[in-house]
Amino acid sequence: MSLLMLTSGLLCLGLYGVLTRRDLVAVLASVEVMLGAGTIQLAAFSTALNVTATSASAAATGQGYTLAILVLAAAEAAVGLALLVVLVRLGRTRTDQIEEVRG
Amino acid sequence: MTAQVTWLALAAVTLAGAAGVVSTREIMRLVISLGTFLLGVAGFFAYYALPFLAVAEVFVYVGGVLVLFLFAIMAHKPDEEGRRLLGARFDVGVAVTCSGLFVLLLVTLRPLAGLLSLTPLVSSGPEAVAGVLLGPLLPLFELLGALLLAALVAGIAIAGKGDAE
Repeated sequence: MSLLMLTSGLLCLGLYGVLTRRDLVAVLASVEVMLGAGTIQLAAFSTALNVTATSASAAATGQGYTLAILVLAAAEAAVGLALLVVLVRLGRTRTDQIEEVRG
Repeated sequence: MTAQVTWLALAAVTLAGAAGVVSTREIMRLVISLGTFLLGVAGFFAYYALPFLAVAEVFVYVGGVLVLFLFAIMAHKPDEEGRRLLGARFDVGVAVTCSGLFVLLLVTLRPLAGLLSLTPLVSSGPEAVAGVLLGPLLPLFELLGALLLAALVAGIAIAGKGDAE
């Protein structure tokens, strides 16, 4: 229960940051907090299920999905920070200053 | 006893880092808090006997994503006092919504609590992870490779387009 409380708390803390912070850097960092909470949860369940799994391969599936989240978060950070660099050049790093998206 | 103290210490480090990310106004403190949080996550992976994930977390995040954040922050213009400040505000509505979500998550996930243990368990090593990634999860593994390549190209294209403008 303690781990569930911790990861749920981290997820909600990250969500609070995403919804209240106005600078893109802080929003991106808050998203990383939310993803971190999810990976801790997945890794812990992966370990717990390992006890009852019938093979090592089945037991490591959770770790495989945790790695997938790590990769997704890294890709998200790369694209988000590239957008941030462009917005910094335009002098608009606050979320309320970004009003239009063009292809 | 030692395991519980370790778990509590890791939880404190992770929570402190996350609270710093959400609340601080100084941009460098935000990066340090994020680094603390990510190291805490890597510590949890090591605690749950998942050394491969712990090393991957340190290499990808603490070594890679944090450096990306530092590069992005270098582009921020400092104010007259030489500080790089971020906007921060307290919103009661959002706080209530997040607290409600927290309670909802606890109630929903409570039946699963019996599966989890605070004490570290023996887990499968990198060989088993490699077996899964190159076995049943091979399509996902290939898809992630393509996604990373697409993200890299998109990052270069976005930053390059900004240069042109």
